[in-house]
Formats: sequence, structure tokens, C-alpha cells
Amino acid sequence: MSKTAKAAGKKKHEHVAAYVFTLPGMFLLLAFLGVPILYTAGYSLFRYQIVRPDDIVFIGLQNYLKLFADAKFWLALKNTVYFTVLVVPAQCVLALALAMLVSSKFRGVSIFRTMYFSPQLTSMVVSSILWIVLYNANPNTGLINSLLVNLGLEPINFLTNEKTAMNSIIFMSAWQGAGYQMMIFLAGLQGISRDQYEAASVDGANKVQQFLYITLPGLRGTIKYIVMITMIQAMKLFTQPYVMTQGGPKDSTRTLVYYIYTQGFQQGNFGYACSIATVFFLIVVIMSLSMKRLIADNG
Amino acid sequence: MKMKKLVSVSLATTMALSLAACGGSSGGPAGGSSDQVSAGSAEGGSAEGGSTLTIWQPTDKASIEAWWVEKLAEWNAEHPELQVKREAIDRSDSYAYENKVTTAVTSNDLPDILFVDGPTVSYYAANGIIVPITEYFSEEDMADFTPSTIAQGTYDGQLYAIGATESSVALYYNKDYLRECGVDVEDIEQRTLDNPLTWSELAEIAEKCTTDSYVGTHVIMDHGEGLPYALEPLFVSNGKDFVSEDGTTAESYVNSQECVDTAKWLADLIANKYANVDPITDEFLNGACATMLGGSWDIAILEESATFDWGVTYYPVSDSTKKAVSPCGDWSAAVSKNCTNVAGAGEFLQWLMSTENVATYAAAIAKPAARLSAYDHEAMADYKEGPRALIVEQLQNTASPRPRTPSYSVFSSRFAEALTNIFSDAASTQTVDPSYIQSELDAVASAFQEDYDMYYAQ
Repeated sequence: MSKTAKAAGKKKHEHVAAYVFTLPGMFLLLAFLGVPILYTAGYSLFRYQIVRPDDIVFIGLQNYLKLFADAKFWLALKNTVYFTVLVVPAQCVLALALAMLVSSKFRGVSIFRTMYFSPQLTSMVVSSILWIVLYNANPNTGLINSLLVNLGLEPINFLTNEKTAMNSIIFMSAWQGAGYQMMIFLAGLQGISRDQYEAASVDGANKVQQFLYITLPGLRGTIKYIVMITMIQAMKLFTQPYVMTQGGPKDSTRTLVYYIYTQGFQQGNFGYACSIATVFFLIVVIMSLSMKRLIADNG
Repeated sequence: MKMKKLVSVSLATTMALSLAACGGSSGGPAGGSSDQVSAGSAEGGSAEGGSTLTIWQPTDKASIEAWWVEKLAEWNAEHPELQVKREAIDRSDSYAYENKVTTAVTSNDLPDILFVDGPTVSYYAANGIIVPITEYFSEEDMADFTPSTIAQGTYDGQLYAIGATESSVALYYNKDYLRECGVDVEDIEQRTLDNPLTWSELAEIAEKCTTDSYVGTHVIMDHGEGLPYALEPLFVSNGKDFVSEDGTTAESYVNSQECVDTAKWLADLIANKYANVDPITDEFLNGACATMLGGSWDIAILEESATFDWGVTYYPVSDSTKKAVSPCGDWSAAVSKNCTNVAGAGEFLQWLMSTENVATYAAAIAKPAARLSAYDHEAMADYKEGPRALIVEQLQNTASPRPRTPSYSVFSSRFAEALTNIFSDAASTQTVDPSYIQSELDAVASAFQEDYDMYYAQ
């Protein structure tokens, strides 16, 4: 056997081994993701009241027709996109700023790292309840409004006004999520060699230039990863509106996943909920693929 | 080299297979040990020929857990042929328990006996999840329960659920603070069920008592079921209920002029800042509001922790009708469609709902008993006078169950949403727009109708 043929054979064997190694993962993915997704798509073609599993009627695309005419669905989609578009940059910038702060070496820096990371360790439900109290509209009981009033400002109905409710959720979500991205940025920052900064400062680059021409390019891979992950997570927003606003006021915080939940479980329209879930799935798939392509295009 | 590869491939295969067995627990003998426990407990009754009954109930006070342990030990000792066990399921102040019941319906894993919340009885009954239990209760027995308890458990002329306890809502007031504001507290104390405070009197008190550190009243129990539960009597008192008597339509009920006026009265309280749009938990107990529409369960909490003198008076009435109405309803026991020993379950429920058991159960869970004769029992001695006696008086005379319709859950969530929107609008604009209220209540009526027509209208 020639050397090249041997190498090819080895490569082929490696392929087989690779597939075998992915089997457990593939199996789990198929069983707990693939099959349920197929079921969901299937049920979306039926009239299915959740507590009547014996009375399922095939209705073709009626759920989808209803969906596209459903103002609440479009509003939920709009809210979800609004949340994603705002929270992703906010959270990433905050995370990067925090990471830069705690990447320098000084006494007690690990205390700050722990502090910034700690919201991540708290359950989202607990954080949401905490923020309900902070955001309370009455200055006698809400901490932030009490502060505003003491500064001579008007109190704000953070969660009970449709103009401020979603923004309030965005703020608390960025606060809650930034710690995790901070840790990833921190790892990215530590991967950038000190020598580059030294060389730059010898050449007379100031801190801003160093940030723009060394730090940012050095973090390119990290940034891509973080933007992608945060975006997918943001699209799935559920806990905060569920706990803090129940989708209100005036549907201003109703997100797609929350709408799926209320339709499927509270109102029992399981078939209809499945059709929303299917559309939502397609949206996320398309978004992820185009993001991937966009990122790949940029090198 | 080849050997090494072979080993690694076979190792990977073994791992994949073992993981597959764990994943598909229902089929694989290796996996699903925890699965078998839960399936076993749910199917226990049917599997062993009806010798075990399983009960599902949402978790509650620790004292009620102790009551169940004691009582079930008693029953199980006397009935070796029909053992009963109970599973307390976390409710987490939301729909967690209902979601569990719903998923159990789809997988046919319902327990033999399950506790259902009052207004959901019709929903479960209309969808065949619970079965009639009329034959297990004599007329004499039924007459001993408060009429609202029986009404709440009845669907289509049949009794489907029976509860040991009830609940109510009344107007709580902070005597110390009301006196400070110049309100005639003695007048409120002397009110009777024939002469409760009217809306305008309540609004007047709320206005007098609203200051920088207090709001005059509290009308938002929570942003879910608490809204229709605690506020429905206001609507009924003003002349129109949420849904027609037969439970088939909400059109020209919840969106009638009377209901719009009622919602407007409530929204005025918010717009004038007499009530908070976003009240904190235990607002009254924390001395942040002067009066509140509070649940019967608040009595025990206030007795234990209030640092001020407080009182309870009857649920307020509309100025135009002066008709006294009050909320009611609580969790009640029903037999599921998956129960294979309905007769045994019926017998157990008879025993569970005996006067003795109802009285001690109600005392343990600190709720008013649903059975009239239970109030003669020593365990219910607290209910002879004071705030608790007032609650019982309301339950026996003015209690009105929530709409009995299979579309209640759709109604409830959409109504809660509408009121929250109306209140938020009032709070942020500080004005009340009747046409907006009308549009929100119209949306409630049509959401109800859509659900009813799709699944229940024949």
C-alpha cells in the first residue's frame, strides 16, 4: 500500500470513528429535540384542546391562517425582536466594560469579578421578584422611585406603563446576563498577548487606540460567539414577562414564547400554540443561519 | 494500532447504547427507574385492582400536611382493602399545579382523586376529566353544605366536586389610621349585611385617607385569578354578571354598560391615586394602605402580625342597587376519569367530607368550613364572633360563585389582562376613558365566545 493510500484509509477510519462518537449526542438530540419538533409541527395542523386528547381534528393550515391574522402574534413578534435588538448590544457592551475593569490586576479584583458574576448565579425568577420590588411604582415602597422622588423627579410607573415596561425588563435582563458574558470576555482578553500592548505603547498609541486596534480585533472570535448566544437566548425571553408583567400592560411585554405558553397551557389551544411554536422555530433557524453567514463573511 | 481503534470504536458504541437506554427510559429496562416510581404512584389504583387510591392536592400550610398524615393513617388502618395515599404538589402561586394536571390528562396519568379550584370544575367536567359523584352524597348531606359550595361543584345538573372549605373577601380597615383621618370608625363597625358600605362611601373614605405615605384602599389582589375572584361581586352588585347564567355567552354581560361602569369606578380609584396600580405584597399589613378588599385568609395573618388596630366589614355594594354580593370558592375534591374504583373513591370522599373531618380540616388549614354543621364543632369555635363570624355570615347569605362555564380559564386570564390594561392606562394618564374600558371588555367577551364556540357549543 502506498503512503497516500494508507493516509486516505486512515482518514476514512477517522470519519467512521467521528460519526460513532457523535452517536450519543445525535441520539439525545433526535429524541429530545428532533422528535418533539416534528410532533409540534404535526400538531399545528390539528384543532387540539389540550385536555381533550381523544378529540383531535385535522384542520389543515387553519391554525396558520388564524396566526397570520392574529394581531397579538405580530405584536409578540415585534416585542421579541425589539427586546433582542436592544438587549444584545446593551448586554455585550456592559459585559465588555466589566471585563476590561476586572481584567487588570489589583488587590481584591476577584471580589469584583464574583460580584459582577453573582446575578448569574441567582435564579431568574428570584431576580425578577427582586426587580418587581425595586421597580414598584409607589415611591413609598419602590426603591428606585423613592430615589427619583428624593432627587426631585417624578416617579415612573416602570412596569405598569406600556411605554416603560419592556425597557425596564431590558435593563434588568442586561444586568442579570452581563456577568456571564463578562467571564467569556475575560478569557478572551487574557488570550491577547501583553507584548502587543507594550509594542503599541512604545509606538505611542494611546489607550483608546490600543482598545480599537488591539483589544477589539483580538476579541473578534469571542464577540461573534457572545452575540450569537445572547441573540438566541434573547429570542426565548419568557421568565421576566411571566413573573414581572404577565405580558402586560397592553401586551407591551408579551413575547412569542410567553404567547405560546398562554395559548397552550392557560387557554388550552394546543394546536394553535404548536403553530406559533413552529413559526417561532423557523424564525430562530433563519436568524441563526443568516447570523452565521454574516459572521463568516466578515472573516 | 488497529487494536486501539477497535477498542475505542467499541467503547463508543457501548456508550451510545447505554445512553440510548437511559434516554428512552420508557422502553429500556436499564433506564427509567425514577420514571417507574412516578408512573407507579399514579397508576397504583388501577394496577392493583382498586386497592390503592391516590390523591393530588396543591401544597398548603404545614399544619394541613400533619392533618392528612393523621387522618390517612386512621382511614388506612380501618380500610386495609382500600389504602389511600396523598401527594402534595407544589403550586408556586401560579398555574404549576394546573399544568401538571393538564399534562397528566394527555398521558392518562391522572390520580384517582384530584383537588380542583372552584371555577375550573366546569372546565374539567365539560372535558370529561372528572366524573359525577352525585350518588355518594345524600340530599341531607348536600343541604348541610353552603349553597355556593354545591353550586360551584355542580355542572350540568350533576355534582362533580365537593370542598371542605370556603373563602371570602371583605373590606379590611386600619382603625387607628382611619380615626386619624377623621373617618367615623364607629359607623363602619355598626354596619350589618343589610346596610354595608356603598361604593361612594368607600371612595370617600379612600379619598380622605390618601396621603403621601398612605393610599386609601387596595383592590388588586394579584394580576391573575385574584382579579375576577375578588372583584366579580362589584360587577354583580351593579347589575350584571360576567357571563350568562347558563355559561354560554359573555356578550352583553362582561361588556355591558353596567360592567363598564363598574370597571370605571375601579379605574377612577387608580387614576385618583386612591389605590395603587402596583401594590406590594401585604400592603395593608405593612401599613401602606388604609383599607383593602382582602381575603378571609388575611384574618389569621393580621391577628398574628398587625401592629395596629384593624377591623373587617362587609363587601361594599353598588350605590344604585345596594345588592350585597360576596366572593367564594375554594379547592374541592373530584374523582378523575382514570379512577378505576369510583365507588371506593366516592366512599372515601363521603368519609373525608364528614362533619368531624370538615371541621378539623378547616381549622388546620385556617379557612372557613363549607359544611354548616361543622361550625358546631369545637374546632370551629373561633368562628362564633368577630371577623370570622362576618365571613361565615357572608358565605351563608351573599356568596356568589364565579361563572360556571367550561371556558372559564380563557375568560379569567383575558379578564385579568383587560383589567390590568385598564388600570395601567388609568395610572399612567390619570384619567379614565370609558370607551377604552368598553373596547377592552369587548375583547374579553369575544375571546370567551371564540373559545366557547370552538370547543363547547354544540
